[in-house]
Amino acid sequence: MTTPTSAGGSPADADATSSGLVLPGADAAAGGTTVPLAARGSGQLADIRRRFVRNRLAMVGLAIVTVLIVLAIIGPYVTPYDAFEQNLANTLQPPSADHWFGTDVLGRDLFSGIVYGCRLAILVGLLTVAFSLLIGLTLGAVAGFKGGAWDGIIARFIDVFLAFPPLVGAIVIVRAVGGGVTPVIVALVALGWMTTARLTRGQVLALREAEYVEAARSIGADNRRIVMRHVLPNAIAPVLVYAFTNIGVVIVAMASLSYLGIGVPPDVPEWGRLISQATPFLRVEGKAHLWLAPALAIAITTLGFAFVADGMRDSLDPKLRGGN
Amino acid sequence: MARFIVRRLVQAVLVILAATFLIFLATFALGDPFASSGEKAVPPDIAQANREKFGLDKPLPLQYLIYVGNMVRGDFGIDYDQHRPVSQLLEAAVPNTVRLAIVAIIIDILIGVIAGVIAAVKRYSFWDVLVTVIATLAIGIPVFVIGVVLVANVSGWGPFPSVPRSFTVQVPWYQEVLLPAFTLAIIDAAFIARLMRGSMLEVLRADYIRTARAKGLSERTVIGKHAMRNSMIPVVTYVGVSLGVLFGGAIITETIFQYNGVGYLLSRAIVNSNAPIIIAVVVFSVVAYVLISMLVDILYAFLDPRIRLS
Repeated sequence: MTTPTSAGGSPADADATSSGLVLPGADAAAGGTTVPLAARGSGQLADIRRRFVRNRLAMVGLAIVTVLIVLAIIGPYVTPYDAFEQNLANTLQPPSADHWFGTDVLGRDLFSGIVYGCRLAILVGLLTVAFSLLIGLTLGAVAGFKGGAWDGIIARFIDVFLAFPPLVGAIVIVRAVGGGVTPVIVALVALGWMTTARLTRGQVLALREAEYVEAARSIGADNRRIVMRHVLPNAIAPVLVYAFTNIGVVIVAMASLSYLGIGVPPDVPEWGRLISQATPFLRVEGKAHLWLAPALAIAITTLGFAFVADGMRDSLDPKLRGGN
Repeated sequence: MARFIVRRLVQAVLVILAATFLIFLATFALGDPFASSGEKAVPPDIAQANREKFGLDKPLPLQYLIYVGNMVRGDFGIDYDQHRPVSQLLEAAVPNTVRLAIVAIIIDILIGVIAGVIAAVKRYSFWDVLVTVIATLAIGIPVFVIGVVLVANVSGWGPFPSVPRSFTVQVPWYQEVLLPAFTLAIIDAAFIARLMRGSMLEVLRADYIRTARAKGLSERTVIGKHAMRNSMIPVVTYVGVSLGVLFGGAIITETIFQYNGVGYLLSRAIVNSNAPIIIAVVVFSVVAYVLISMLVDILYAFLDPRIRLS
């Protein structure tokens, strides 16, 4: 990092980078031989898994996330109604046996809408995080491993992108790219890769001088091989934990955008959009299902991902448990 | 120190320029606001006159230079809808946003620091678990869910004005600011509590704390003077970043509570596609965010000499 706490890096990641977490697995690979991940870490991995399973909150999170993903995949095949089908003769109905969560302003079945929203949230969350991870890992590894001018240029890019207050930046990008789900993903990726890049850079910088890297170099491995086989596998754990934490953040960001009327088209039952359509009824007696259902859906989803991410962090490095 | 400040200042100006250019490009890509569209038929000569009035007939780079030139002099142009000067709209909204930000920050520092210290000092106790669980929940629940729940259940009750309300109803600012500030504060307080707990636990293990105890200082002095001061640094950084975001306008929260700050101004402008307001508010948010981050960095370098030298 060229600037000490330069604009916007949240204190938590700055912390993780500077302490240069040395991860379990680093020792085992120190012989310079590259053993497949599973074989190398069988003891380590089993430890990690055991710690994760023992963490009750993490298991609750895992259960929630599993249900959500299954729902996202099979959703449209099991919902009782078409999530888009309007029925203006049957609007604002309270929950009943026919409509489990009631019907909304346009007479759509709210339960089907929530399930459709789940599909959208999971899809956007996973895609956004995957693309951010790809960009962040690549740029971070280049900056950390090459250093010099590369590092400088990438650091400047990170600074410019971090200068946008996140939501404001996303609004600008979505407006520029156009409406729909793809622009939302583009915007969230554009504003989501920087922390991953910084984390990776810090990790790679710390590992670049490790003895096993030197050993690999001395037997004639080229940079590409060293980075892909020796440095990245050892640097990736905290980056993955961050990525997982970010899935919830991305889902909330998309919901925030739709709440403001940006991105996802108005007729799509996206969770944030459903809440915004429910705002005129916030203080109306007997219409609480309109906002309660999507609000609970968002809250449960973000909590589920947060629990799993916390559990991953704790089980990867038990020393961190006392920390933030 | 002077060199550090100059370097940081140059960096801030460059970032602001790059960011405003991106915003300008992005907003320009929105298309021509004066062309005929749908049911709205605009005679060509009127469309042309409007474009000239708003300077949209000039090439894009020139538009940007003119915009930046005017902006530096505090002129953000006039808005598309009612042709009001955007600078006046900003002037009306900024004080509300600043008030909201300051009240929110005070609430979250108070709650966050106290909760974090208690959790660290009484580690693994009931209070520690309570703080950790509440913090995890608060961080996991998005701000607009909290906002919506508060509007639905709390607004219009006791000192809290109802939302929405008729514009004829006058409410003193300190009542109006309460619920939105609390909404904003909940999540930040949770982050601060976590940070404070973590860094406090680390500091409590330090040698100088053992020394302080060994020379017989009261537990109160050890915690209050030695431990707390040294564990504040991550909190200071976090508060700085958070203040930057808040000064730029809490879009969601202000919109939910229909609070007349820059965030609500922006969300209304988005609905009306009112580009001059959108650009002005975004520029304002970015400038506020960058400047405050810069101040925090300088303050940080001032507090910790190790940073200046790196």
